[in-house]
Amino acid sequence: MGTPPGRWLQSWSTLRTPGEHLSCSSPCFEAPRAAVPVSVCPHQQRAVPQGIPFTPSPTPVPLRSPAACGGIMPGGVFLGWRKEARAPTRALLGWEMLGGGCLGAEHLPDPHCCSSVPSHGPGGRGGGKGLILPCPHAASVPPPQDIRNTVGNIPMEWYEDFPHIGYDLDGRKIYKPIRNKDELDKFLEKMENPDYWRTVQDKMTGADIKLTDEQVDLVQRLQKGQFGDVHFDPYEPAVDFFTHEVMIHPVTNRPADKRSFIPSLIEKEKVSKLVHAIKMGWIKPRKPKEDTPTYYDLWAHEDPNSILGRHKMHVPAPKMKLPGHEESYNPPPEYLLSEEEKLAWEQQEPAERKLNFIPQQYRCLRAVPAYPRFIQERFERCLDLYLCPRQRKMRVNVDPEDLIPKLPKPRDLQPFPTTQALVYRGHTSLVRCLSISPSGQWLASGSDDCTVRFWEVCTARCMKTLPVGGVVKSIAWNPNPTVCLVAVCVEQSVLLVNPCLGDKLLYGATDQVLESYTPPEEERVQPVQWLTATIEEHSKGIRLTVQHSKALKQVTWHGKGDYFATVVSDNSSMQVLIHQTSKRWSQNPFRKSKGLVQCVLFHPIRPYFFVATQRYVRVYNLLKQELTKKLMSNCKWVSSMAIHPGGDNVICGSYDSKLAWFDLDLSTRPYQLLRHHKKALRSVAFHKHYPLFASGSDDGTVIVCHGMVYNDLLQNPLLVPVKVLKGHALTLDLGVLDVLFHPTQPWVFSSGADGTVRLYT
Amino acid sequence: MAQLTARFRTENPRYAVEDVPFSVPAASEITDLSHLINKLLVAADADHKYVEFDFLINGQFLRMPLVTHMEMENISTEEVVEIEYVEKYMAPQPEECIFHDDWISSVQATEEWILTGCYDQTARIWSLEGKSIMTIAGHTEVVKDVAWVKQDSLSCLLLSASMDQTILLWEWNAEKNKVKALHSCRGHAGSVDSVAVDCTRTKVSDFLKETFPTDEEDEMEEAANRPRKKQKTEQLGLTRTPLATLSGHTEAISSVLWSDAEEICSASWDHTIKLWDAETGGLKSTLTGNKVFNSVSYSTLCRRLASGSTDRHIRLWDPRSKDGSLVLLSLTSHTGWVTSVKWSPTHEHQLISGSLDNIVKLWDTRSCKAPLYDLAAHEDKVLCVDWTETGLLLSGGADNKLYCYRYPATASDVGA
Repeated sequence: MGTPPGRWLQSWSTLRTPGEHLSCSSPCFEAPRAAVPVSVCPHQQRAVPQGIPFTPSPTPVPLRSPAACGGIMPGGVFLGWRKEARAPTRALLGWEMLGGGCLGAEHLPDPHCCSSVPSHGPGGRGGGKGLILPCPHAASVPPPQDIRNTVGNIPMEWYEDFPHIGYDLDGRKIYKPIRNKDELDKFLEKMENPDYWRTVQDKMTGADIKLTDEQVDLVQRLQKGQFGDVHFDPYEPAVDFFTHEVMIHPVTNRPADKRSFIPSLIEKEKVSKLVHAIKMGWIKPRKPKEDTPTYYDLWAHEDPNSILGRHKMHVPAPKMKLPGHEESYNPPPEYLLSEEEKLAWEQQEPAERKLNFIPQQYRCLRAVPAYPRFIQERFERCLDLYLCPRQRKMRVNVDPEDLIPKLPKPRDLQPFPTTQALVYRGHTSLVRCLSISPSGQWLASGSDDCTVRFWEVCTARCMKTLPVGGVVKSIAWNPNPTVCLVAVCVEQSVLLVNPCLGDKLLYGATDQVLESYTPPEEERVQPVQWLTATIEEHSKGIRLTVQHSKALKQVTWHGKGDYFATVVSDNSSMQVLIHQTSKRWSQNPFRKSKGLVQCVLFHPIRPYFFVATQRYVRVYNLLKQELTKKLMSNCKWVSSMAIHPGGDNVICGSYDSKLAWFDLDLSTRPYQLLRHHKKALRSVAFHKHYPLFASGSDDGTVIVCHGMVYNDLLQNPLLVPVKVLKGHALTLDLGVLDVLFHPTQPWVFSSGADGTVRLYT
Repeated sequence: MAQLTARFRTENPRYAVEDVPFSVPAASEITDLSHLINKLLVAADADHKYVEFDFLINGQFLRMPLVTHMEMENISTEEVVEIEYVEKYMAPQPEECIFHDDWISSVQATEEWILTGCYDQTARIWSLEGKSIMTIAGHTEVVKDVAWVKQDSLSCLLLSASMDQTILLWEWNAEKNKVKALHSCRGHAGSVDSVAVDCTRTKVSDFLKETFPTDEEDEMEEAANRPRKKQKTEQLGLTRTPLATLSGHTEAISSVLWSDAEEICSASWDHTIKLWDAETGGLKSTLTGNKVFNSVSYSTLCRRLASGSTDRHIRLWDPRSKDGSLVLLSLTSHTGWVTSVKWSPTHEHQLISGSLDNIVKLWDTRSCKAPLYDLAAHEDKVLCVDWTETGLLLSGGADNKLYCYRYPATASDVGA
């Protein structure tokens, strides 16, 4: 190790006795003259057989190994080597015995010899055997004829094609024994020779050797895994050479080396290199091991549809019925069968029996005999397991929240009324109806205190109070902005009132139009009476009175402001009447009553007329005078109705607290039923411009909804409740009686049973 | 954090303190800071009397503990804080409560007289002490707005606009206490809700609430260009017609004013404020809001428009910004419609507002989160407010009462 070879040579030369030659370390050495068995290769005489690698390696490694070993090993071995060195021939012989090879200087370049030296092949063993085992042939052959084969540790197959098998010590060929036995001879020999089983062939000589008893015994012991030596005792007591106790004398008494207490420069250099590398970040500290064991779900990413996934489709075995009292060894007496029951049980078919055994009573558990039906029951249980239904019931877990359609947030649907802005106080009883002037400046309200009040919208100032001498059921401002006229339903008559608010020119013109009426020459038969107001009434503002025969429910104007329709609370065909103001002419459009009419409305654009009865809304075409549509409201009692300004959508409020939205193009059934109110709806309203509708209910609230109608026929209306407006106090179990939108602003008015009108903005 | 470093400064040289940083407790409030400043002032001048101060940080009034305010305004507490202090504005002192027979729709006051419009179809003149001087009856409908046109020692000219679609120009002789109707101005097709006199006192602009929202007009009338001759005609209802009609609003106009000699500003229910050129009658610019405007006021001191609208906010606008609808600031505290706003004629930052929630609020634009003072005297809707140059706050409402407050601004002003 690190020692230059020259030094070794020097030391070797000191060890060598004169005349001795070592074959190992020196590259130029002489061949030993001793009678060392020299392996002779057949190639010295014949050509090298094909396929053998011929690698000239001048310095065989194993030859150097003893010297190398001597260098490393502690002194003891070294000494031993020295001992050997005194008798080099013997040492070499011993070496041959250990390595199983032979050395020859002249043969060194021969690859066969080189390869033969280290290997412990059969040749070596053969050589060894020649020394260990007494050769039987040697015994039979005369002593001078030593036919020991000197061929060495080479595969004997190389001599397969030759008549000889090797060379003896004198270099003469050893010929193979003549073998002319055929299979029959071999068989006969096998049969006849009693020692055939202990006959082996010596590969080195080709001779048959009969093993002696000791050899057979040795072979048998080795086969059994025992030691070859009979007398070897593997269990002799062990001698402890070292003790755990610290002795006063050290094993070696050598003083400590100087280097053991002087800091090593090399180490210092290495450490400084490491320090530098750490500083520069080339070496990084090891990541601390994570103490937490990492678990993972082995089946997390498993495809449930894969073959393995089928294992998940585990069907638990059907549960067995637990034993009851009747299976007890000592059941309560009510479980025991009477004689008749036993008889009936025996007569029943085994499949029909309720119990498949007869409950029996035993004195004690010790007296219970073996169960005779055990095998039968096990078999049935196996059948149950085998035939149990394998179908799985697939349960779909649906979050109910997901089923609700996504609606936009109310904040995004501004503007809509949110807070109460003004309260219009003055009425002393419940305010039944509201109407607003087309300009949005004046508000008219009719109340049970037998007055109609006109309010200024922006200040909640009551501008006029008109006593009408009866409960005001309905009020309607003429939608025509050039006419200033309000229709008021009081008991059996409709009063056409000029409120004298707004432009003087306008209400003056309205009066002029009404006064310019000239009655037709021939009197026509009318269902109602048109009466011009008296002077006293005229001073109050009343211009015309339309006297009906029965109490009125509702009045509504046509969009142009000339026609108006009234509803009479009657069960006859005279429920609905249509009046023309300019001609003071009334007519009854229906011949037959179709039910109790709740309210009527004119279509805002087209000549349609909507009549709401208790359950249905009928749409009539006024030009063709026919029924166009019949809408099923799905409600028990319709209370109110409003038409979208576009004219294709209708909402109906009902006393069973539902609001039905009809899309006339879509279906005759409600597109949507809104159940937001807790009590009966009294009134519904649409805004003229904004996509808003509102409903007032007996629970005292007004609910404002966003109701967007799209021009695109494929898109259904979007209905979103946006605001619940509270404010009205409940009076006589009534809350909000009428709702109304401002014509231009997103404001909603509501009139309540508490005698107030409220404005929400 | 217990201490903050602050540097105090003031515009008023009477109260100036040394310009060095002080360490003040972080949790100190206005009273603590006020004590501190007073101590400093006493140390400098032994004759100093105690004065209450108000404090501004970056132009915002301090209304809470110092550190909370700074956290809310995202001001670093590490650096020296610049705190400006002004003498604390005094609370308005209630002076008079003038009873009317009906709702008060409008009020305008001068140094000597208060003119009110009333829902009982009259306009009234009151002295500042609350004595009824004159009742002007002539309208056949509710008087919606009143305005002084000219005030001489002998005779005053005043205007009243009414729901009967007319504006009457009156001459009132203060000494004889006689009133004469000079002209009746007609032309509106609806109730006249607002009337404004331009700063040169020669032209009247009056605006209407239109009955039909499709065609809105606002009209301007030359009323007092030849007053001498008109005085001779004692005939009531000498009719005058509009000088110009400004149409463009699609809904009722709620308020109108002259912002300077050539510019008219109108606020409408159609969610817009429009600025018009008075000479040509053309539209100059439009400020668009998203709620109905009830009232608008213009301050010549800070050149801002203040609008009161139905969504309870008072918004400040810069009428000169060409990019249209730029809201500078929102003052939010009212809980009902803001029916009227009025800038202070003497203070750059202050305005007064009346609302349907019965409260009149005094605002400083430097404190937009909370008003300076709430004047909660009315028992019903407040319909009109006014602020005179002599520091008188007036508010009238639906409880038939006109309340007057003396607003001295600062204590030192009272002494002066």
